[in-house]
Amino acid sequence: MLASIIATGLAMGAVYALIGITYNTMFATSRVMSFTAGQLGMLGGVLGSLFMLRWGLPLVVALPLTLLAAALVGVVTEFVAVRPVLKSLEQHLYVLTTLAVALIIQQITAIEWGTEPAPFPRLLELGEGVWHEKYWLPVLACAVTIGGLEYLYRRTLLGHAFIAVAEDNYAARALGLPERNLRIGSYALAGAIGALAGFSGGQLLLAFFANGPLLNFYGFIPVALGGLGNNRGAVIGGLALGLFQQAANFTVGGIFSSVAVFTLFIIVLLAAPQGLFGAAASRRV
Amino acid sequence: MTLTRRHLGQLGLGAAAGLPLGLARPALAQNEPIRIGWLAAMTGPSSAPAVGFNRGVEFAAAALNAEGGVKGRKIDIVTRDTQGDPTKCVNATQEMISQVKTHAVWGPTNSGESLAVTAIMARAKMPNIHPCVVDSLIDEKRYPNAFRLAPSNTQWDDAVRGYCLNVLKAKKVAVIGDTTGYGVTAAKASAAGFRKDGAEVVYEANIDSTQPDMTPDMLRARNAGAEAIVVWSVSTGMDARLFNTRASMGWDVPFVGHPSMASGEIAGLLTKPENWKKVYAIGYRSCSYDGQGKLPAHSQELVDRLKGKVSLDDTLLWWVAGGYDAVQLVAEAVKATGSSASADIIGHWNSLKQYPGYFGTYTYSPTEHNGYPTEDVVMSEASSARNGTFALAPGYG
Repeated sequence: MLASIIATGLAMGAVYALIGITYNTMFATSRVMSFTAGQLGMLGGVLGSLFMLRWGLPLVVALPLTLLAAALVGVVTEFVAVRPVLKSLEQHLYVLTTLAVALIIQQITAIEWGTEPAPFPRLLELGEGVWHEKYWLPVLACAVTIGGLEYLYRRTLLGHAFIAVAEDNYAARALGLPERNLRIGSYALAGAIGALAGFSGGQLLLAFFANGPLLNFYGFIPVALGGLGNNRGAVIGGLALGLFQQAANFTVGGIFSSVAVFTLFIIVLLAAPQGLFGAAASRRV
Repeated sequence: MTLTRRHLGQLGLGAAAGLPLGLARPALAQNEPIRIGWLAAMTGPSSAPAVGFNRGVEFAAAALNAEGGVKGRKIDIVTRDTQGDPTKCVNATQEMISQVKTHAVWGPTNSGESLAVTAIMARAKMPNIHPCVVDSLIDEKRYPNAFRLAPSNTQWDDAVRGYCLNVLKAKKVAVIGDTTGYGVTAAKASAAGFRKDGAEVVYEANIDSTQPDMTPDMLRARNAGAEAIVVWSVSTGMDARLFNTRASMGWDVPFVGHPSMASGEIAGLLTKPENWKKVYAIGYRSCSYDGQGKLPAHSQELVDRLKGKVSLDDTLLWWVAGGYDAVQLVAEAVKATGSSASADIIGHWNSLKQYPGYFGTYTYSPTEHNGYPTEDVVMSEASSARNGTFALAPGYG
């Protein structure tokens, strides 16, 4: 039982963490919580299954194609749902626009792909039991992503530019940074990260059009727990969520496990509204 | 009101104008096509049943029209794709009642849509026959126009319980549903039925069908001593995960329940094909083959008639047979009464006793509009699909 809690809990936690990072990546350059994050995860599973099982493409081709396609969806989101509402962020119109795009993605997938869950292939044919690749692939994907992002943000000029825009986009623009292009780039990056979540967790979640809302909900919790914009917090929050959820499945089961998860979520937010790893917002007076 | 000469004049003109129309109406009614409305979710989620039903509908209409129609009247199928959306279904129903003026309506094919339109058709006294399972859709007092062609949920429940208790001899059962409205209601009713019949429901749960790991619930069911697991869910993903988990636990408990457990999509979701063994899904005697691989003679007759004309390899025979029977039931009513008036069609259906359709032998009365015989609801070997039919589960003679 303990092994199952840890294996499934960490795997699902890693998927949630990656969706949390997707939220953060889009938020960083636009200050918009884009509710397309879960749908990008869903697309990762569906496109992976499409490319590998239906089209018969090898992993080395299917994975980049999936990430590329999802990156494109991310860019389209920026153009269609984010850019038009940036001037009136205080009205929170992005909630409507990004939810609308999420719904469109889900409906198109349902029509073109179908409404029944489809199989997702074994990727590496490695491991059995609790060491089955479906458990550790999402964790590996999460580790690679967080490592890659740390490298990007800390060691590259492009990463520094991303951080500059995230810190203060007016100042960044004043310095001559191409803020608009950087925002488009961050949405493409978020698309790829979201798709990686769905692709690496495809064997657990299957290629299913209805995974989007599930990932949207559970992927948001690590963001809130870890602090908005804090990727390391999202990873810790996501893994904790996965483990707690799986433990709740074993102890209270079914519908009550969701109740337990959301109860804990509310308690944590009451105790630390800025998230466990987020700093309280300061304002110059 | 005082009658004046002007009023009398107007009445006279009205009567004169109405007379030719009044005389022409019976002649027109005798020649006009029999319009059967067909509310079909041909696209969108859950379109598979309607696609199958449609093959039977078109085949029946073509066969009847090739024979010259019914008393010289052609069958005209008026199909509207409702996409499984109750709102679209309501619009299509209104159109059929007020504009197309259909003589009867077949469908819709899922309970969500049917719940939205049953009362509308009742108000219009539109003869309606449908295959939806939700019990409340049939109410002879509130909806005297509505008839069910397929079993109700209660009949499904009775068949599953009967198989668990009488064939599998399981006295301790686990009842699992998904978290949809249907899953919760069906699981609750099923558990209550088992308890009423003296069985012990050792584990009862509703699981989110997207939950990736079913181990927690299966472990609880095993630890509670379940001898059979009854599943009420339309989610093939949840079904496949349950079967895979059972295999990984090395447990051989039988699964009994919803027809979705026999859905073809499950094959691709299994880690091993043998994980689908000892799974018994609701099926129908008319569409099940025996140990020798033979269908009942009447069903074989339909399969022979369909050969080369209607494909059965990607659908279920009961859908095709049900669609065929629905059209035939309307045609038979017009043939027997010589009328396509709604009261005559409803009256004829209310008098049907042991009508031999291909899908079932239907019996209706003014106080019973559930016409499908419960004894013809059987369990099938879920993994035995062959041209839209299934093998009878063990235990049927």
